[in-house]
Amino acid sequence: MILRAVEDADLIASARKGNVEAFNHLVSRWEKRVYNYLLRLTGRPEDSLDLSQDVFLKAYQNIRKLDDPARYGPWLFRIAHNEAYSMFRKRHPDTSGDAEMAEREPAPGVSPEVSIAVNAAMDRLTPEQREAVVLKVHEGFKFDEMAEILGCPVSTIKSRLYTALDLMKAELAPVTNRGIR
Amino acid sequence: MNTCERSEALRDYAFDELNGADRAALERHLPTCATCEAELHSLRLTTATLRSIPDREIPQRIAFVSDKVFEPSPVARFFQGFWTSPSRLGFASACLIAGALLVSGLHRPTEIRTVVQTATGTTPAGTQDVSGQIDAAVAKAVAQVRAEDAKLTQNVLAAAEIKHQEEHKALLVAMQESMDVMQKRMGAYTSLASLEINPNGAGQ
Repeated sequence: MILRAVEDADLIASARKGNVEAFNHLVSRWEKRVYNYLLRLTGRPEDSLDLSQDVFLKAYQNIRKLDDPARYGPWLFRIAHNEAYSMFRKRHPDTSGDAEMAEREPAPGVSPEVSIAVNAAMDRLTPEQREAVVLKVHEGFKFDEMAEILGCPVSTIKSRLYTALDLMKAELAPVTNRGIR
Repeated sequence: MNTCERSEALRDYAFDELNGADRAALERHLPTCATCEAELHSLRLTTATLRSIPDREIPQRIAFVSDKVFEPSPVARFFQGFWTSPSRLGFASACLIAGALLVSGLHRPTEIRTVVQTATGTTPAGTQDVSGQIDAAVAKAVAQVRAEDAKLTQNVLAAAEIKHQEEHKALLVAMQESMDVMQKRMGAYTSLASLEINPNGAGQ
């Protein structure tokens, strides 16, 4: 992890000097994570791809404003969060940015039963709870990093996450009791 | 629902968000609390189920930097490279300074000529006074330099004369000494010759 962080910092330093190829390396490292984060928020592959493009374009344009290269991950996800909610607001101006989930396809390589149960449980969460779950469980961010991404206190994030997990525990009980395949 | 007072710490522990001391305390608590142990097991099962849904592959690579469309134009790239290169900036600064000197050099004679023309055309009284003062100062300076030159020449001549006299005196002394030696040798030769002419007189 430390080696990876140093390498990212080197690439960022190089990209700041105008090295396009260094930024290209950063894109290839982070594009899958950003895309999957946006896919879990929106449920739409096309939107997620378009948003990912916009996220990296903004990151490239603003890379000199990044104060601490070690915080590149939270900084990039903050851009992704803003882009996603900006899209939600454009599509549903009256719902203050609430995401309308598209119907998700079952994930390949997992039993359809588990995939459907997980998708159904995620859809029952509020967008804020869902995002907290994605950032913590899938992306593995620390609470302070999540606070930076979402722009709210750690206590709020914990509340959202733990409430979501209580709900999901009940929703997923039928499949978890049978074991995951 | 976990009713244990350590339920929040337990959740933080499940996500590796507890510091060393709190973590150790919770690890001591876990074997003594069946509720917390069951809660931790349930939480881990739920997160494992969520994580079992794998990440999707991105349908196509982000076409940002690798696409020519998004790359800066050659002009933009030149200026981007220009502002980040100290050597290029230095060279440009040197060119700018050289250009400024050239322009300054080309324009200066014209300005001087204009001033001279103005001075001769109008000849104000103040200008005449200044010219007179300048001439007087120049004449004074020239006279002073000439006086210093004459004094210096006089000193050099006097020194040369003294040196010449000393050398002359030394030459006379040397000639006198040579004459004395010659006279002594002549005396000796004369005595020797008188002895050879009258050998018997010597024995008488």
